[in-house]
Amino acid sequence: MFVDIVQNTIEGLAHGAAYGLIALGFTLMFGVMGRLNLAYGSIIMIGLYAGIFVQSRWHVHWMVVAGTVMACSVIAGIYVERLCFAPMRDGAAMASLVASFAIWMQLEEAAMLVLPRHSYPFPAPTDQVVIELGPFLLRGDHLVTLGTAALIMIILERLVQNSRFGLGLRAIAESPRAAGFVGQHVRRSLFLVFIIASMVGGVAGWLIASTNHQVSAMFGMWATYKGLVAAMLGGLGSMRGALAGGLLLGLVEAYSLWAFGPQIRDLSASLILFLLIVMRPGGLFGQKQAMLGAAARTRL
Amino acid sequence: MIDPFLIGVLSNIGMMSLLALSAYLLLLVGEVSFGQQAFFGVGAYAGGIATALWGCSLGVALLFAALMGAAAQLLVALPTLRLRGFYFSVATLAFAEAVRILFGLFHYRRDVDGRMMGPDGENGFRDVRYIYDHNMGGQDYMLIVWALVVAVLLIFMLLEFSRYGPRLRMIGEDDIMAGLNGIHVTRYKLATSVAAGALAGLSGGLYIHAVTYVEPGVFGMMLGVHTLAYGLIGGLGTALGPLIGVLIDIGFLESFHGLSQYRMVIFGGIVVLLLIFRPRGLLDEVLVNRLNRLFWRGR
Repeated sequence: MFVDIVQNTIEGLAHGAAYGLIALGFTLMFGVMGRLNLAYGSIIMIGLYAGIFVQSRWHVHWMVVAGTVMACSVIAGIYVERLCFAPMRDGAAMASLVASFAIWMQLEEAAMLVLPRHSYPFPAPTDQVVIELGPFLLRGDHLVTLGTAALIMIILERLVQNSRFGLGLRAIAESPRAAGFVGQHVRRSLFLVFIIASMVGGVAGWLIASTNHQVSAMFGMWATYKGLVAAMLGGLGSMRGALAGGLLLGLVEAYSLWAFGPQIRDLSASLILFLLIVMRPGGLFGQKQAMLGAAARTRL
Repeated sequence: MIDPFLIGVLSNIGMMSLLALSAYLLLLVGEVSFGQQAFFGVGAYAGGIATALWGCSLGVALLFAALMGAAAQLLVALPTLRLRGFYFSVATLAFAEAVRILFGLFHYRRDVDGRMMGPDGENGFRDVRYIYDHNMGGQDYMLIVWALVVAVLLIFMLLEFSRYGPRLRMIGEDDIMAGLNGIHVTRYKLATSVAAGALAGLSGGLYIHAVTYVEPGVFGMMLGVHTLAYGLIGGLGTALGPLIGVLIDIGFLESFHGLSQYRMVIFGGIVVLLLIFRPRGLLDEVLVNRLNRLFWRGR
């Protein structure tokens, strides 16, 4: 019993780190733009599918695959930004939301047309490393995911809090117009944020795919969904919250999988999201309520 | 006798129009719902259970489907009505996914005339053969569907001419201002939600009888994005808008063989381009007003 609980906690934290990574990208984009990018998961999926395509064609080194995943995620990210976010007028956050929802489905269908099988194997850089600690099993790649998530969180938080670029981003988050008046290149900054978020997504996608050794057609939906729940759990716009929310979601899912089985696990993510929005829209660690309020008042 | 393929397409357009009108109704009061497909699913299961398991007639089954859809939407509307903007959208999306997973766990099997019937989890709900058992042709069924669509459209027209239509649009434009002008915003939004749920449920009830089966995968997010997009493509100025959206998608993209493969790719592109260039659709309020003035000028 005790061993089970601890082992499930380990598993939960490992999966939670992956959720947290995706949530970081979500929260970065939302924090700066005040807009939700529902196509984020499918951006990552396009990157992964490109990686699989390159791998199956030319059997390249895993580093090349990782590079392809990142590069194609960024390209897909630029496509989404140009279509769904750049052309929408100020305050039309709902238009961006609906557009990204439509592009999500479009990218998913496009990926399925190119690679129609249900799932594809994905190459891992090394063989499975399992560390045994008494009765508990720790997987090496899970540790790498957790470490990378923490590292990216620290880098992003440094970037936002301690750099000139980050100062500009915070100004834009506060008020894009005022930031423009004091000489910020608002559009360029938003574009850069999108590229950074897509790169983070690429790293997250590659880590998750190589831990699972496969990518399925459901990946885009899975990533958007889990990332969104994690980011909202921690409060949209907060980096630490995103990682904490991811870990929390991972734990909840691990326990509900252990206690009730896979379908209830999937259900729990949806129910958490619904209850969270109804009861605590600012996230469990609720902050930046004022900014969230402004974002919520926009309409189509 | 009309070509059966054409009949199939026409009844499909009718059913999807009802679903699109339910999302359109919510768009009128300014709520972007990503979850109308859940109430479609509720309606489909309710309608199927009524005819296949309880032996009700089609009319009763459709009424039951609409009622269940309305009840389900009321259940969601009560906690979510005070949410605005994307919070409402994401909440409806989460709810719809939860409903889809729940129907995957839903088992309700009964022995009907020596056969086990009813919803069977992930396998869905099969053999709802009411219209075949009662010797209704596809053509008759299509007529029933379109009679309902026309009736609903007439109600929408009456709504536009009455004082309620403008009030709904006022809430959609700015609910605080609408409240200041003496409109009971919560009451109107609740009534709109119930009506939208009933429309989605009715559409689901019609759907399961037309195709004889439904499974949780049918009402996934893909259906949700279409439902919402129909109104946004066709325009928010008139209830004919969603119909135009459905015609473009099913009548044009899905029914031509070369195009159907790329349906979602093209459709997604159309939605985004329209959101950029005509955020309130082809037939938006401005154009509808202009047409109205042109039409009524001589009288």
